[in-house]
Amino acid sequence: MDAMGVIQSITLLGIVKLMLIVLLGVYAIFAGLMMRQIVAMTKAITMKDDFVVRTLGILNFGFALLTLFLAIIIL
Amino acid sequence: MAEIFTRGASKIGGKVERKSILDLKKVVQLQGARHLFTSFATFPPSVVFETQDDGESVVVFLRQHPIVNLPWIVGALLMLTLPSVFGFFPPYANLPVGYQFVVTSGWYLFVTGFVLAKFMGWFFNIYLITDERVVDVDFLNIFFRKISTAKIQDIQDVNVTSSGAMETFFGYGNVFIQTAAEVSQFEFLAVPKPDVVGKILNRMIDLEEQEQIEGRVK
Repeated sequence: MDAMGVIQSITLLGIVKLMLIVLLGVYAIFAGLMMRQIVAMTKAITMKDDFVVRTLGILNFGFALLTLFLAIIIL
Repeated sequence: MAEIFTRGASKIGGKVERKSILDLKKVVQLQGARHLFTSFATFPPSVVFETQDDGESVVVFLRQHPIVNLPWIVGALLMLTLPSVFGFFPPYANLPVGYQFVVTSGWYLFVTGFVLAKFMGWFFNIYLITDERVVDVDFLNIFFRKISTAKIQDIQDVNVTSSGAMETFFGYGNVFIQTAAEVSQFEFLAVPKPDVVGKILNRMIDLEEQEQIEGRVK
């Protein structure tokens, strides 16, 4: 397929799909960093039952990965 | 305040406590809630920080008053209701169902991240007063954190301010600590019971001076 053919094959939905997947991918990286930062902070200051906060970070990261996975499957 | 264990030490619950800590416990007494999300507690159990010395005890544990979280909680609740009006906007309404599902899930994911980032900003912004120093743990955002400390003997002045309707009603305010340390001013912002914190700090400074006069400082 030549360059013109590639350009002609681009659809609005295709652009939306690409944008959604890129955004969700970037967010998944952000959620991973957030999870790492929570672990670092709970090491810097240890408190009773701070596993609750670590769990919140892990859940957010899991939710981000799940949404990214669903986006790749569904779109 | 840092005193040798053998001098006036006692054993409580299997843990050796220094005389200075016992003196402080008599003066300060146990105050505040002991749960994970507390914003004010004296002698909190199980709070240990990275640079804590052996035998150093946390006397006061502080966070900002929970009421400071109200604006972002209201914002998050409004953001959670937004997907119900997405359908009124043509770009979203014209998308296929699968795309709408992903956009909505992505929105909820974004709100979750927003809530978690704001919560972390409150939860990890901690002020500690130990028997040896004041510790300010700043957590500005997920990429920046800073831990500042100053010894009790370096504290020069403690100022407490509480102004405004909200601060008066909910009983919180600011404690400004001037020091001769590298960090010249510590700001404990929007902390509960600022007057109590100020009194505790002043009492600890007095104890420190008394110990220096008696030559009990290591």
